[in-house]
Amino acid sequence: MTLLELKGITKKYSQADQFAVNNVSFKVEKGEILSLVGESGSGKTTLLRLIAGLEHPDAGYISLAGNKVVEGKKSVPANKRNVGMVFQDYALFPHLNLLENVNFGLKGKIPDPDKVAKETLSLVGLSENFKKYPHQLSGGQQQRVALARAIAPRPAILLMDEPFSNLDAVLKDQVREEIRQIIKKTGVTAIFVTHDTRDALSTADRIAILHKGYLQQIDTPRNLYEYPVNGYVANFFGKRNEILATSTDDGFYSTFGFLTDERSKLFSSQVRISFRPENASIGKKEAQPMSGKLVKSTYFGDHQLLKIMDDEGRYINIRANASRIYEKQSVIFFSIDKFSVEEA
Amino acid sequence: MQIAKQHFYWWNYWMAGALLILLLIATPLFTIFFKIFEPPGSSWNHLAETLLFGYFKNTVLILLGVSFFTFILGVSTAWLVTNYSFPGRKYFEWLLILPLGFPGYIMAYTYVGLLDYAGPIQSFLRNSMDIAVTGSLLDIMNLPGAIFILSITLFPYVFLLSRASFLQQSKTLQEASSLLGKGNWHTFFKVALPMARPAIVGGIALASMEVLNDYGTVKYFGVQTFTTGIFRAWFSMGDAATAIYLAAILIVLVFVILYLESLQRGNRRFSQGTGTGKPLVRVILTGSAKWAVSLFFAVLFLFSFFVPFLQLIQWALLTYAKVVDKDFILLIARSFGLAAGTGVIIAVFSVVLLYSLRLSPFKWLKNITKISTLGYAIPGAVIAVGIMIPLLGFDHWYMDRFTGRNVGLVLSGTLVALVFAYLVRFMAVGYNPIDAGFQKIGIHVNEASRLLGRGTCKTLWKVDLPMIKTSLFSGILLVFVDVLKELPLTLILRPFNYQTLATKAFDMATNEMIAESANASLIIILTGIIPIIFLNRLIRRKVF
Repeated sequence: MTLLELKGITKKYSQADQFAVNNVSFKVEKGEILSLVGESGSGKTTLLRLIAGLEHPDAGYISLAGNKVVEGKKSVPANKRNVGMVFQDYALFPHLNLLENVNFGLKGKIPDPDKVAKETLSLVGLSENFKKYPHQLSGGQQQRVALARAIAPRPAILLMDEPFSNLDAVLKDQVREEIRQIIKKTGVTAIFVTHDTRDALSTADRIAILHKGYLQQIDTPRNLYEYPVNGYVANFFGKRNEILATSTDDGFYSTFGFLTDERSKLFSSQVRISFRPENASIGKKEAQPMSGKLVKSTYFGDHQLLKIMDDEGRYINIRANASRIYEKQSVIFFSIDKFSVEEA
Repeated sequence: MQIAKQHFYWWNYWMAGALLILLLIATPLFTIFFKIFEPPGSSWNHLAETLLFGYFKNTVLILLGVSFFTFILGVSTAWLVTNYSFPGRKYFEWLLILPLGFPGYIMAYTYVGLLDYAGPIQSFLRNSMDIAVTGSLLDIMNLPGAIFILSITLFPYVFLLSRASFLQQSKTLQEASSLLGKGNWHTFFKVALPMARPAIVGGIALASMEVLNDYGTVKYFGVQTFTTGIFRAWFSMGDAATAIYLAAILIVLVFVILYLESLQRGNRRFSQGTGTGKPLVRVILTGSAKWAVSLFFAVLFLFSFFVPFLQLIQWALLTYAKVVDKDFILLIARSFGLAAGTGVIIAVFSVVLLYSLRLSPFKWLKNITKISTLGYAIPGAVIAVGIMIPLLGFDHWYMDRFTGRNVGLVLSGTLVALVFAYLVRFMAVGYNPIDAGFQKIGIHVNEASRLLGRGTCKTLWKVDLPMIKTSLFSGILLVFVDVLKELPLTLILRPFNYQTLATKAFDMATNEMIAESANASLIIILTGIIPIIFLNRLIRRKVF
């Protein structure tokens, strides 16, 4: 069932020369976790605020849970939309204690707000010290309170703006998993904004990629990573090598060597082959169809990245086991396990 | 979710309220503007031929003189206090701010009394030294005297702002200058002073605004300026059109000063990143330099605050039994009530304006809201004229329309007119701290509350207002003090026989009852000192 639908949403801020969001349309299913991913200035936060009702689009319409909430100049105000939001800076009310923060959206709406607030707080892992004030909590705890406050009134949809950006790397992995489980447990539909692809890949059911206000692609993490619709999306999820090759009957011929592949029949002559550094493997001389000269190796602890050059001075990056030491200027033999081909 | 109700996304009652308030506050300004295009009053030609040049000359001379002396006194003290260590430095740092609590008119007649035949100086000379002086010891009731009085009461503006700027300047910059082989004097003139220029000019501009607003000092000293001219045209000649012409010229002068101030700031950025902020190490003065500097500060403090303050206390002790009665207590209560009431109204108006800005998607609203704070730059006498004309117009219309007979004054000549004028003049005083408060808490808490289902009113009451409580109270307090000591507006617009502490003190002083007036003056000064200390704390906290 479709819970949220955006159609042709466009927004331009008065002083900006570019559109913040340009003709964006997509649907979100009930119970789904969607991640909006993009660089800063891509329009992802604006899109979140448009859904929340904190901004009004110049064009397009939004429907939420079967109601039109934005159409033309008319809109349902933010306080009537039943939307929960976790702000990047958490925006906890500093003059209210934990319990008062969480029951803020419950009072006067349900019979026993304190009971529900306490239940929600223990759901996010805070089952004591309800009388503490936000400034007495750690950053991680503040975020849990912000999450509890947002989900306690059982919103139709939960929006989160960069929920992991203020956490350190170690805490982040843990919190990511916890938040995903809390969201799934409550069954709430959620959209979160992030600039970190690892957050999106590991937490979201589907990912929408935005670039300069345009929606590039919306799909499952696996599909986005493996079948990006364009170069921008592909590059967004990490380094990618591109080499030019000539199509023959049984494969592709390039300056690094010959790649046997059935797809060559589908292409006429010049093609561009692209693959990620981890999709090539290094091996013994005889077995490998491709080779190049090692220019530089960069050590990352758990792996190393080899920069390999062909005879014409073009180079690619290949990920290799960290333990092996390769001589500079030596010839590296490798094969490419997975790659995509497009007409050059 | 129930069937959603749709609204025009930009509409809310806050915006309607804000537009109404803006219209109200802009009325006197628009009035002056439109009346300029009407023909001049009957006395204009005569005035233009005889008095106008004198008004202009005196006003400009006082402006130049006060600018010069506030610059010398303010910058030198600020520089010494931030960079050198000498006996009493810690105390002088805040003692020198106290003169701001002394309204110019009170300082003026206190000095006249001090130098008078019956005053303490002459009495001392006559009785102990056997030196008789004929007439006043030193006649200060003239233009140089006015410059002196206004300079010693207004130099703290320049002192405060340039001190803040010197404190912010990275010590490393000054060290870089000395390592390049430049001496202290060179460093001061080539590095510190140019970098502090925006702050210094800002301080002088503030002092200039106060000079143009001043009525009490120049009136008491008999110096004819634009302000006294407006009073004369309005009261003595009953010629509103001429008063407006004078007011318009005065406004032009104000805008010239504001323009020069913004011009010198230009696009240059003078502020130095405070990231490299090293703890300030003050140079410890030794020998005669140490005592010379201390003496300079001591003399300045004696002249600008201590001696006149002591004199007021002595007068008050002599006369309080006669002056302080039931009526006087009522007068205090009435003045405090008027000041507090105005403070609260301004706070409410500021909150409505700022809250509608917070909720509105429109940028133009932000720009026109600036109109509301313009009044602080406009001299009280001008605002008074701009308010009287529309209110008199309203009264006439009301009489013709509803009663058909003369029911007297409806709005003009009542407290409504006076409070209205205070609103226009002091809006900025309350608005700015409240604006800063809103900026500090950010918009996210407000949005969070609305997303949790609370409407804009409830959000304001439950979230925004509790969070900006301190700013709200400082706004009210600052307005309170300014209203309490306000003179020209109150003199023009007060209801018949209505007295405040300020008008009472001024009336008594002009009626040769200087000693008696000290009781009211002391109350004004003592209440004024509270927010000055408070303000000083705020500035210091921002710096460190």
